[in-house]
Amino acid sequence: MARWGMVIDLDKCTACQACSVACKAENNVPHGSPQEHTRRTALFWHKVIAVSRGEYPSASIDLIPMPCMHCDKAPCVTVCPVKATYRRDDGIIIQDFRRCIGCKYCMIACPYGVRNFNYKEQEEQEYHRPDLPPDRASRGPWPFPQRVHGVVEKCTFCFHRIDQGIREGKKIGVEVVPACAEACPARAIYFGDLDDPDSQVSQLLASREWLRLREGMGTSPKVFYLPR
Amino acid sequence: MPAHKSDMSSSKKGKGDRFSINRRTFLKASAFTGAAVAASRIIKYPEASLVSSQPSTEGVITERWITTSCLNCSTRCATQVRVVNGKAVKIVGNPLSQVSEGEICPRGHIGLQVLYDPNRLSVPLKRTNPAKGRGVAPDWVPISWSQALGEVSARLKALRDEAQPHQLLLLHGLNTSSDEDMIYRFAAAYGTPNVVSGDTLENEAAKSGRWLADGNSSHIAYDFGQTNYILVFGADILEYEKPLARNLRMWGKIRRERPNRAKVVVIDRRYSVTAAKSDRWLPVNPGSDAALAMALANVIISEGLYDTDFISGWTTGFDEYKELALSYYSPQRVAAITGIETDTIRQIAREFARSRPAIAWAGRGVAAWPNGTYNSYAIFCLNALVGSIDTPGGVIYQENPGYRDLPEPAEDDIARAGKDKPRLDFGKTSLFPAAAAVANQVADSILNDDPYPLAVAIGFNSNFNMSAPGAWRWDAALKKLPYYVHLAPFISEMAEYADIILPSSTFLEEWGYDHSPPGSGFAEAKIKQPVVAPLDDSKGVADTIFEIASRLGGTVASSFAAIGGDAQGFVRYRTETLMPWSDFREKGVWLGPAYQYHKYDRIFKTPSRKFEFYSGNLENLLKRTGQGVASRLVYLPHYEEVKFLGDELSYPLVLSTYQPLLNIENGNQNYPWAQEFFLVMHGSGWTNFVEMNSQTARSLGIRDGEMVWVESLFNRIKVRARVTEGIHPQVVAIAVGQGHYAAGRWQQAIGVNPNEIIGVDYDRFSGQSSFFNTRVKVYRA
Repeated sequence: MARWGMVIDLDKCTACQACSVACKAENNVPHGSPQEHTRRTALFWHKVIAVSRGEYPSASIDLIPMPCMHCDKAPCVTVCPVKATYRRDDGIIIQDFRRCIGCKYCMIACPYGVRNFNYKEQEEQEYHRPDLPPDRASRGPWPFPQRVHGVVEKCTFCFHRIDQGIREGKKIGVEVVPACAEACPARAIYFGDLDDPDSQVSQLLASREWLRLREGMGTSPKVFYLPR
Repeated sequence: MPAHKSDMSSSKKGKGDRFSINRRTFLKASAFTGAAVAASRIIKYPEASLVSSQPSTEGVITERWITTSCLNCSTRCATQVRVVNGKAVKIVGNPLSQVSEGEICPRGHIGLQVLYDPNRLSVPLKRTNPAKGRGVAPDWVPISWSQALGEVSARLKALRDEAQPHQLLLLHGLNTSSDEDMIYRFAAAYGTPNVVSGDTLENEAAKSGRWLADGNSSHIAYDFGQTNYILVFGADILEYEKPLARNLRMWGKIRRERPNRAKVVVIDRRYSVTAAKSDRWLPVNPGSDAALAMALANVIISEGLYDTDFISGWTTGFDEYKELALSYYSPQRVAAITGIETDTIRQIAREFARSRPAIAWAGRGVAAWPNGTYNSYAIFCLNALVGSIDTPGGVIYQENPGYRDLPEPAEDDIARAGKDKPRLDFGKTSLFPAAAAVANQVADSILNDDPYPLAVAIGFNSNFNMSAPGAWRWDAALKKLPYYVHLAPFISEMAEYADIILPSSTFLEEWGYDHSPPGSGFAEAKIKQPVVAPLDDSKGVADTIFEIASRLGGTVASSFAAIGGDAQGFVRYRTETLMPWSDFREKGVWLGPAYQYHKYDRIFKTPSRKFEFYSGNLENLLKRTGQGVASRLVYLPHYEEVKFLGDELSYPLVLSTYQPLLNIENGNQNYPWAQEFFLVMHGSGWTNFVEMNSQTARSLGIRDGEMVWVESLFNRIKVRARVTEGIHPQVVAIAVGQGHYAAGRWQQAIGVNPNEIIGVDYDRFSGQSSFFNTRVKVYRA
């Protein structure tokens, strides 16, 4: 069984946010509004965050693309009282909308802030998109043409693409990657099997210095960053 | 029906089947019944059957991928659009395109929201309220296309019959290359010298500075992917500079896709995204970039680090340039002007000269100043010093697709006489001797009836009363126009002044050919073809022009007679000589031959046929306009102190503006994806800020997030303050793209438009609008 992970090269990344926009399109994540922005209730499965350090003129701002870290020791999984969030055998952390009771324990437990509560009502037009057909067959059936109010949502590493790719015997990480990685114009996002020493992600991690966010939390995330 | 396993629960056997049966059954029922929707409203936590973890693909009846290209900025990337059941659902890059190597930027994805914008116009509209002005309701009534085109043509015909065709003004914003060719052809056939492009607000001084040196008046192309070192002068190469998607792709390449990683140093008063991703940010005093460039030349020349072969073989004027640099621009003196330390100047000069191939990149941030031409000239010359002219990794000379030549437009005496009249924008006169076109001057010319009054104006996707500095003058000028026709897919601030609005279709419903601005070197043409039928009653720009021309009859009609007949025919007519039509439609891209470097016998369009450190082109031009001057300094790259609008005592801060990547360049911002990711540096969206240094904010008693007034000599706007470390303490910055007020649920009353407080000034050679020399004061609201 593979253990899927992602490597984001911050030296190549241009902070253009094609990843974040492509995620919205791929997963039918509803767009927000000025009001939701103010209330911080807009949904993002992927977002580029800005972290500033230092003072003028030697200030710097790190711009960091943030998918779900798909931690090997995921606190969200530990705290979920109804097993709505769980780790698949391939390491992807999944949120089962049907089991979720919307208690938000996982949102508090997550050290990365990548979990979102869906406040949207079904009948809100921009939210409910039955008009959008599933993505092309080679990428797997599209999981979220309709969405659910009152549950927690997050990045899935585009598991629908991976599962479909495996069924079709494709090379995951080469022919099939998550939507964010596919959309990256600088080609800064890599995806593959962390347990396969020959995979591109393993090779990159062996050849470059890397870091993971909030290492001290002991979450063992599977998203790795290559700094400058 | 294939029995899919549920993806959501695939690790747990047995569940998939149970849920999928329930869900299927429910979905089938719910798709057509209101009862099911009503039911879902009262279920607080939905049952499994509501969750579509495993949708069927049975809804897909037709699926097609259609090649076309983007127009959300002037890069015009080749794309492929997935169309399911007649609806566009996904946009990706076309892998055959070599300009961006198959990639697109996020603006490309937002094409879907441009196409399905709830703000789209569905029918032609006619104004019934004769009063015009900001906030005055036009009282639109829908009319038919035939009535609309009939009324517009009647106006145009009457003007021509009176032998006054020069009183027609054509304005255009961002259009496909083919639509632009149609617009200019229409002007030529009709007989007006007055066609003005919004692009001339942005890039003219960069072009003219380069023209002084090598005689080419076009955007500068850099062989970015092969360079080792980039000195970035005010260029937002990861947000604004074109071709953007190529810049993003090449950034990945120069950083980690080759053995030697290129170094990037950004000289900018604002900590841009490019600065954040660079190796070093050097905040520079506003308007002093030319001094820095000359100091770098000083170090490179005095330490003998320049390319002697190129200088002696292919340049003139070097001795005078050298003397000027050595005698006036010592690093010590320039450190005081620029605020960059002497040692730093020496260090980056040495790095630049020793890390060849190296590029000195002059962006909009240094061009849009009253001394923009000299800024660009001084920076461009650094490339010649290190031999980076037409070399791999240096400045390259863009080739464009050779579309089939059009026959000369038929001209009658009326057209000839009209085109001989002076131009409304005073381009190529002593006012703006080196100008191709001066968009912002036109507002004042209309207001002053100078050199003559106008009768009719047509705007093609233009929005000058948002995008031009001194926006209020455009409001007044548009109000004064006797008859204004606007073509665009949506109501914009400029459309509010129209007498008739013709709803044009978006680039995803239109036929066209396009090519990117300089950047790749080699030529590439891309097709635009409708991925869906034009929505509602919209019509492409080219088809509208064909119809108006035919209604005008005479030589105007015959000018458009044998060039394809309609938009599709026109595109085919002009591109069929490049590649067979069916191939072009299928592949979407025509690629020219590989780029050839070192064409020194051909590229220099100067009196000496060499690269000129002393500009013979400028000398000849000023002699021609009677402005010849005795001082030789005028013809050399040099630093001139900037004249600011507003005195330093009353207005202590310099206002800077910038265009974030997610500002869509079609004059509209009614796109939720673009809005919610608008300001990546602030992790914010749906707004813009006045960004100020923490020291400045402290001294003014302003806290982060407070509402403040930003006031210039001309006007004031109220906006939220953002306190940051990433800006020069004497500068405040506001992102453009917000402040729309005419229409649009997702853009109206969001943020401010800094052009409403920026004064009107120009680069004196190119007529480039100066966006950056307005002083402001900021105080709590």
